[in-house]
Order: sequence, then structure tokens, then C-alpha cells
Amino acid sequence: MAIRVSSVVKRFPGKQSVNALEDVSLAIREREFVSILGPSGCGKSTLLRIVAGLVPHSEGVVQVANRDVSGPAPEIGVVFQTSNMLPWLTVEQNMLLGAKLRKLPLSTVAPKVRELTRTLGLSGFENSHPHQLSGGMRQRASIGQILALDPQILLMDEPFGALDALTRDLLNVELLRIWQEHMKTVLLVTHSIQEAVFLSDRVLVMSGRPGRVLHDIAIDLPRPRRPENIKGNPRYGEYIAQISQIMGVY
Amino acid sequence: MKRTFESILFWGLVALLWEYGVTLAGVRSYLMPSLSKVLAAGWQERELLLSECWVTLLEVLAGFALAVAGGVLLGVAIHFSAVARRTLYPFITALQSMPKIALAPLMIVWFGYGFASKLASTFLFAFFPLVVATLGGLSGIAANLDEHFRALGASRWDTLLRLQLPSALPSFVDGVKIAMPLAVIGAIVGEFIGAEQGLGHLMTLATANAQTDLMFAAILTITVLASLLYWAVEAMSRAVWWRGKAV
Repeated sequence: MAIRVSSVVKRFPGKQSVNALEDVSLAIREREFVSILGPSGCGKSTLLRIVAGLVPHSEGVVQVANRDVSGPAPEIGVVFQTSNMLPWLTVEQNMLLGAKLRKLPLSTVAPKVRELTRTLGLSGFENSHPHQLSGGMRQRASIGQILALDPQILLMDEPFGALDALTRDLLNVELLRIWQEHMKTVLLVTHSIQEAVFLSDRVLVMSGRPGRVLHDIAIDLPRPRRPENIKGNPRYGEYIAQISQIMGVY
Repeated sequence: MKRTFESILFWGLVALLWEYGVTLAGVRSYLMPSLSKVLAAGWQERELLLSECWVTLLEVLAGFALAVAGGVLLGVAIHFSAVARRTLYPFITALQSMPKIALAPLMIVWFGYGFASKLASTFLFAFFPLVVATLGGLSGIAANLDEHFRALGASRWDTLLRLQLPSALPSFVDGVKIAMPLAVIGAIVGEFIGAEQGLGHLMTLATANAQTDLMFAAILTITVLASLLYWAVEAMSRAVWWRGKAV
């Protein structure tokens, strides 16, 4: 298993009487694409941070690549909701930064960065500084920085949440293409039911606080998925309707 | 072009007002000499002024460099060490609330009439804003970048060099801009209390000899020196262009 979470409980210190996460269990196979949906404040971001080794859990077992998580693991790349560009570095320097911090050989990472610059539509902006880019471009560069590490497992916390719908759709397609090509394990936290259904092999739906995994829905749509051959598929609509009903969004 | 003209016009008016204002108002020249008398005295004593200015400049630069080094080290130590935060920080805050001008005579007692006591006095005046600015810069690092570096498994050293220090630079530069004029004050105060050289010493001599024109010439010299130093700091601070460029 790429990711295994068993009976995890998360309590935050303080006077909150309700746990953030209550008995959460999930297992994600290698090369599986899994999304987590849930109401705001259900602890889905906390769950992602626990898997990433950024936040300690209170009870239960968390394993990544069959090892207990005790801190940020080198197999994992995390993409956050906001772009994480350092304003004093150029786009290219920013995209190389993750590799430098992880002490990966630049000779293998630099060609990847050049390729990602092209596929993420950042050609011509290599030597620009982040403040000269739009929000969408900064987020693409942030994603590029993580993909350049070639992590086995990609954790994404609402990576497209702050983007407009058009950019979001484009990046969804691009993410699928990259996933198809490099076959990584992806755990995606999102607010968008459409995005979750379009991208995932499985969608997990969490309850409100305390967060629990209530539903585990396999998305049986053909791959490779393209918007034109998925969005017209009646089962795509059925999945969205089914999940919307579960989540009470109508 | 228009702006240059405006400032020439402004300073020309100030000079004219000084030159003719004192004569027209009938101010006696041992109280306030006219500009031309001050300039004449300054020109006549130009070698003395320049050599004393050189002494003061060296005191300011050395004391300021010491203050920057000490301020950054203390700021970093207080930010990263809970022990330093509990012990050193209250100590230097107490030190800061003491009137430093009252400490200047002590510096003469401890370090003598020479260079060392001016170094100490300059350091005392300049270092506290540098500590505060370094601390402020280090504690103002964006939480998302901090988490990003942790997720990438960055070493403490890499985090310091590649994230914390560059993030702290804009605030640190503000501290430098406050500390630079304070360093000049520190050197002059040290020279007032007890010295054998320097512009501050020259001022006390000129006062004692009722040479008001030479005293004004010394004041003008120190003003030009302080302005040039501030301008140099300002020019260097433009290298830190990412202030407020939140991304």
C-alpha cells in the first residue's frame, strides 16, 4: 500500500471538545488517484497534513510506503492551496528549489524543470519573478516545483481552489496527463465534486466535524479521460448526482 | 529636470534666507554667523575639518559594522533560542530604556579618550534597532512558506539561508536606515564627552574659543557626512526590492 491510515484520531490541544478526526481509516494503492471531499472544517486538510508528516496524529497508525510516518518523507511531494514561490527567486530558480532542499542531483532535475516549464505553459517566463506572473501561473510553477522532484506520492490540498474555472479545467487535464505518464499515487483534497469525479479512481466523502470517512465511491469511468469523452458520459453525471445527494448539495 | 530645478530653487532660497536674514534681523555674528562667513571659515580650516571628519567617519563605520554584526547575531539568537528570549531580550530591552547619553561618560572611563570609547558609544546608540528589526523580520515569515520548507525536508541551515534571512531582509533594511543616523549621533556624543580628535571634539573647541563660524562649519560637515551615509544605505537598500511583493 502506498498510503495506509488506520483508526486515526486527531485531537488539537485546547478546549475544543470535539475531535478533528475520529477513527479515520483508508488505504490507497500504488498509482491510485483518490480524492477526498467533505464539508469545510471536516479535517480533510488535517488528514492530508498527517499523511505528509507535517502534523502529528493523536491515535492510530499512519504508514507511507509501508513505513510509519514520523515526519516529512522523501517519497512525498505536497502541493498546497496557495502558491509557494519565493519572491526573490526567478520562476526557474523557484522550480529548482525543492530539488536543492532535498539534495537531489541538479543534472537530473534541471531537464525535468525545463520540460515542465513547457508543459505547464510557463515558457518565456523562466527568468521572470513570481510577482510578474498571474495567480494561476504561480500555482502552476508551484506544482512544477513539486513534480520536478518526481515524488512517488503526490498529496494535493485544494491545489486549484484559488483559480478561475477555466484555468482549473486546463490544469485538471494537465494533471491527468502527467499522472498517466508518470503513474504516481495521488491523494487530492478538493471542494469540487466535478473535479473529484473527473480525476479520481475513488472518491472518499467525509462527514462534518469530527471527521470520519462516510463513503468510499469507486469511479468507474474509462481512461485516459478527456473532458470531451467524459463530461458527456451519462455515468459521469450519475456519479456527480450521487455524491451531491450524499453531501446534501442540491 | 523639473524636480532638480525645484530642489535647487528650494536650497537656494534657504541659503539666501540664511545669508541675508541674519544681517537684516540684526543677529550678532557670534550668535549666528551668515552663511558666507561660515563657508569662509570652513574653507580656511578645510584641512582640519577633513581630517576630523575622517576620524569621525571611521568611528561611525566601525561602530555601525559592530552594531550590525551584534544586532543580527542577537536577533537570530533571541528568535531561535527560548533561553536567549527569556534572558538576553529583557536585558537588552532594559539597556535600551537607559538613556545612552548617560552611558557615554562611562564608556570614556572604561575605554579611554581614544577610538575604543567612540566605538562603544556608537555601538550602544545603533545596535538596538538592528536587534528589533532582525527579530521582526524573522518572526514575519509567511506560515505557508515555512510549512512548504518543512514538507520538503529542508535542513535548518537551508531554511535559515534560503528562507528566513531573505524574508527578514526588508525589515532588517528598515532597521539599518534607523540605525545609521543613530551611529553618527553616537560617535559625536562620544567625542563631546571626551576626545582628542573628531568633529564633535572640534565643535567643543570652537565653542570654547567663541568661534561660532567654525562651529557652524563643523555642523554643516557632520550634516553632509550623515546625509551621505544615509544616502548610501538607501541606495544599498534598493537591492532588497522584494518588499511587499507577496506571492
